[in-house]
Amino acid sequence: MLSGSQSRWIVIFVAACALVFLIYVGRADTRSPRADEDTRARVSPVFTPAHRSVLDAVRDFFNRRPVPVQPLAFTHKVHLANGMHCTDCHTAVEAAPVAGIPGVELCMTCHQMIAADKPEIKKLAAYQKRGEDIPWQRVYAFSPTVHVKFNHAPHIRAGVECKTCHGDMTQQTVAVRAVDLNMGYCVNCHRQKQASTDCITCHY
Amino acid sequence: MQRHDAPLDSGLSTLAILLLVTCHSSMVQTMESKAQKKWAMVVDLDRCTGCEACVVACHAENNIPTVGEEQAAMGRAMHWMRVERYYQGDFPNVRVKFIPVFCQQCDAAPCEPVCPTYASYHTAEGLNGQVYNRCIGTRYCANACPYNVRFFNFYNPVWEKPLHLQLNPDVSVREVGVMEKCTFCVQRIKAAEITAKADKRELKDGDVQPACAQSCPPKALVFGDLNDPTSEVSRLAGSNRATRLLEELGTKPKVIYLQRESWGDGKES
Repeated sequence: MLSGSQSRWIVIFVAACALVFLIYVGRADTRSPRADEDTRARVSPVFTPAHRSVLDAVRDFFNRRPVPVQPLAFTHKVHLANGMHCTDCHTAVEAAPVAGIPGVELCMTCHQMIAADKPEIKKLAAYQKRGEDIPWQRVYAFSPTVHVKFNHAPHIRAGVECKTCHGDMTQQTVAVRAVDLNMGYCVNCHRQKQASTDCITCHY
Repeated sequence: MQRHDAPLDSGLSTLAILLLVTCHSSMVQTMESKAQKKWAMVVDLDRCTGCEACVVACHAENNIPTVGEEQAAMGRAMHWMRVERYYQGDFPNVRVKFIPVFCQQCDAAPCEPVCPTYASYHTAEGLNGQVYNRCIGTRYCANACPYNVRFFNFYNPVWEKPLHLQLNPDVSVREVGVMEKCTFCVQRIKAAEITAKADKRELKDGDVQPACAQSCPPKALVFGDLNDPTSEVSRLAGSNRATRLLEELGTKPKVIYLQRESWGDGKES
């Protein structure tokens, strides 16, 4: 049998380990998700909805997600300040489930002339020259384990403003997760607008 | 004392049960009267050729994994839709009958009251909803279901790459530990509702088609709204060929089977 002081030390040791683990998990992961996907593709020849590691599962549980690193220092602030609208680039938002990210061709219709000498625009032009699309990283996405199927179009038609879920884009350069889109946030709004709060409205 | 209490106790419990039953049925009735739609499917067994196109379509539409030979031998195969085969008579005078079986979306579903987390629940439109987030995998619902149409994910499903690229983005990929079943292609119902609302019109008969009905070559499967008396489903449901699976259990299934003769009479026609 362990003595009282010994068992106390064991408890303290376990608690310390748990603390270190949680701190490690809690640190925002700044690796690009693309890089993660590449490693996964090399490691496994199969697709499964399972988490890649226990750590990933814990991260998902605590809603810690990688901070996306965008390939270009795009700035929403400047575009909106120059009188553009969200729908000028996110063209599908009124009609489709996804808002749509503009292709490099759409960017270049303006940037052929405008600010063509800026370094970031030169990078953009280089993408077009190579015939590549810009590898934008996803900012807002529901984890697959929450089984949410979101559709932009009916929300826009119901008069929900973009900033309700995406924050004030006039103050953001690259998009950041300004609003925590948890179920409480969605359901509150659905209740206020008397939209359906039936489970299978969103979860299927 | 105990002996005197016993009849009182049983009387009280009977009363309580009666009260519960009346409450429940009246709740069900109010829900039904409020509901605008009552989705149902008609399966014409006289048309079904047993080609299993519906099974394939269902797998493709709903991201249903294949579990492999070993797991299938343990009774863990997952097919939201299956075509059962029945033989009548002896060779060579043998007749084969096919019955496509999938979730019957019962109005008095045995799977719903047994779920401790309300993952299996009844929607206002009369569907048996299955909320994967809520499911904790007790499998009570599968045990309660008399039609054997609920499937449990014993492992995380796996798709050999690049097969994962054909997964339907409109449907969840269910993970290990949750129960799943035919949803009447609820993603298609929702999409049709959204489109209809955008066009400022009501849903028409035929706007919604589950993957199985869409793929059925002899059009044996018809989907629609039972509350709409003009719908194809309502018309067929009124047919004198109409019958339901295990009707005697009182589950009130919303899948209606059409056939010329009753089952098990063994007569050649």
